[in-house]
Amino acid sequence: MICAGIDAGSRTIKVVLIDGEKLTVLGSGVVDQGIEQEALAERLLRDVLKTAGIGRDEVASIVATGYGRKLIHAADSQVTEITCQATGVSHCLPGTRTVIDIGGQDSKFLQLLPSGKVSDFAMNDRCAAGTGRFLEMVATQLGVHVSDLGEMAGRSRKPAQISSMCVVFAETEIVGLLAQGCTVEDIAAGIQASIAQRINAMGGLRTTPPFVFTGGVALVPTMDAALSSALGHPVTVAPDPQLTCALGAAIVAAKRIGVAKGADGA
Amino acid sequence: MTDSPSRITLDEWDRRYEELSSSGLQEPDYGGCLRRHIGDGDTRLLRLRMDNSAASLRLWNFLLTEEDRLGKAREEGKTLVGTLKDLGTVPVMAYSMKNVVAFYPDGAWWIPCIMEHNAGLLEIADSLGIDDSFCPVRAMLGAFVSQAHFPIPDLLICSVGATCDDLSAIAQRLDAMGHAVHWWEIPHRRDPDPEEEAVRLPGTFRAPGSQVAFVQAELERVRRILEDHVGFALSEDDLAAGIQRANRVRTLLGRLREAVFTASPAPLPALETLIAEMLAIHFCSDQNECIAVLESLLAEVRQRVRAGVGPLADDATRVFWINPVADLRAMNMLEDAGGRVCGTEYLFSHALDLIPEEIAPMEALARSALADPMVGSPVDRAERICHDIERFGAEAVVVSSIPGASHCAMEGRIIGDVVRRRLALPVLEIEVPPIADSLEPTLRTRLEALVETVRSNRLR
Repeated sequence: MICAGIDAGSRTIKVVLIDGEKLTVLGSGVVDQGIEQEALAERLLRDVLKTAGIGRDEVASIVATGYGRKLIHAADSQVTEITCQATGVSHCLPGTRTVIDIGGQDSKFLQLLPSGKVSDFAMNDRCAAGTGRFLEMVATQLGVHVSDLGEMAGRSRKPAQISSMCVVFAETEIVGLLAQGCTVEDIAAGIQASIAQRINAMGGLRTTPPFVFTGGVALVPTMDAALSSALGHPVTVAPDPQLTCALGAAIVAAKRIGVAKGADGA
Repeated sequence: MTDSPSRITLDEWDRRYEELSSSGLQEPDYGGCLRRHIGDGDTRLLRLRMDNSAASLRLWNFLLTEEDRLGKAREEGKTLVGTLKDLGTVPVMAYSMKNVVAFYPDGAWWIPCIMEHNAGLLEIADSLGIDDSFCPVRAMLGAFVSQAHFPIPDLLICSVGATCDDLSAIAQRLDAMGHAVHWWEIPHRRDPDPEEEAVRLPGTFRAPGSQVAFVQAELERVRRILEDHVGFALSEDDLAAGIQRANRVRTLLGRLREAVFTASPAPLPALETLIAEMLAIHFCSDQNECIAVLESLLAEVRQRVRAGVGPLADDATRVFWINPVADLRAMNMLEDAGGRVCGTEYLFSHALDLIPEEIAPMEALARSALADPMVGSPVDRAERICHDIERFGAEAVVVSSIPGASHCAMEGRIIGDVVRRRLALPVLEIEVPPIADSLEPTLRTRLEALVETVRSNRLR
């Protein structure tokens, strides 16, 4: 049976199709988020199905997750991104004990049991600090694309000290650093380090290795190294880190209709 | 008993009120349909879901008519005492005196929520230099200026010392505006040194005898201020009788909490339980009626427990809730997500503990004041919370905070860490402003994720 997961995140919508019995991925897609969330999600699902050569009526179960999950009426049920992310990561990388997820407008710290179930979590969704939005702001100010920030940070020789984690004040701070002759590479590295420290502080005492890094920000090169440095442990970037939550939603969908093993996790 | 307990909207309450009225509902003089409070500006009721029992109707009406009671007390020439930063000690003394009514001006922090900012109290506080970097209790300043919510009290008595910085600053601003404040000091509670006399306080805390004696002396000073104002002495017998009445309220609340938190399904929603608990602080300006309201609520709860019914699902996730919320809707949200409250610590656990009756009344009040969870270490508070979490069998914990409230910036984290270490339960930290509408999606996500986490592990 075909199952689908739709992750309606704050910056992008992701769809993953799986074979519910084998839990293998049959198709996936990502599209930028917009005002017409439901229409965008529906169109993306249709496109992914078409590419995979699967008919809409073959989809046995759909679970929506992410901030926009309640707006996805095509879904049979809605499950939070905490549960779905944990399910997706545990499927890809069994034995993971901590998931760090940095998305467009929030960041999360999930502590998992050896079974892969969530035992505790923390979220930052009130402040742009420690999120992809923060990196976007910095990239804009430095006149580069956000995807180039990581590579630039990798060339840094002396990462700048960014003391403010407020987007507005950090912007002022960056202007000051540029005026002092600080290189964009050092500023990029400083920003990555400050985000990593922020994430580490959010996790508090809940830092059990092995760590896995997910979310759109995990696609930024060297961000994993900055996190490893802050946490004092290696951090593994999940395969297709932007899609693990949608994958988890698809797996939960399969469990809910009883085609996949295990409890549905929600 | 209500036939089918449920949480209903204000629209549904209109129909429910007609049903109750036509079936012979007996109400006190402050009774009536809940919708009438919208006319008074309490528009938040339009967004809440409330318990559908007659006992809860009475509770809500009692809460929302306190201003009327205070106005009436003023007309009758009673002495009005505003007790600031005092969650349950000086009010007991005041209510032991004839024709004295104590109330809690700091309680104005709820007005921006219940009136959805329409009263403009926070804007007035802004104009007085107390901006949103302060606790929402700054709404009290606005209420003193507008005089639209309570009469200006004849006496203002405020504890200071090991209390909230924000409240102290706001009360000083009030004093500077010409509302004279009588201060009494409460020290930071500490464990007795080995060579010191150790005094067991109500609840689980201890303090050195010297601290109890100090607080007793401070309260004696407050007693003289009260006596000087009303022109007669407060006798030991009257004070002992006042303590007994306060303990009657606390006993009722203890029974209510026990019944609500231990029964399954939950016989009363979190919102009504929260409001009932808040009555412990100052009796909503009428001690005798407060007792009647709680007796009625307890009777309803007991009947529901006996019948095995309640407004929430049997398998609702059992959540221990720490700290009161500024937006009452947060309590609805937990239940919408599939949770239920099975234990609380709203920062005034000492006002729920019985005041000792076997010792001299003033020493008993001093011990009660020192048992305030806010005047000691957050770790001490966390230990007591852990004890209650175990007692009520919670599966998860929510630590709520209010933006700008500065009682202890790290307290949520400290309590969370102690609970995780001791009990290995998931702990969710949330921040709830007076109107949390813009945060509703994120709050709901967190609460739903907490419920999912617990349920997933139940199945494990």
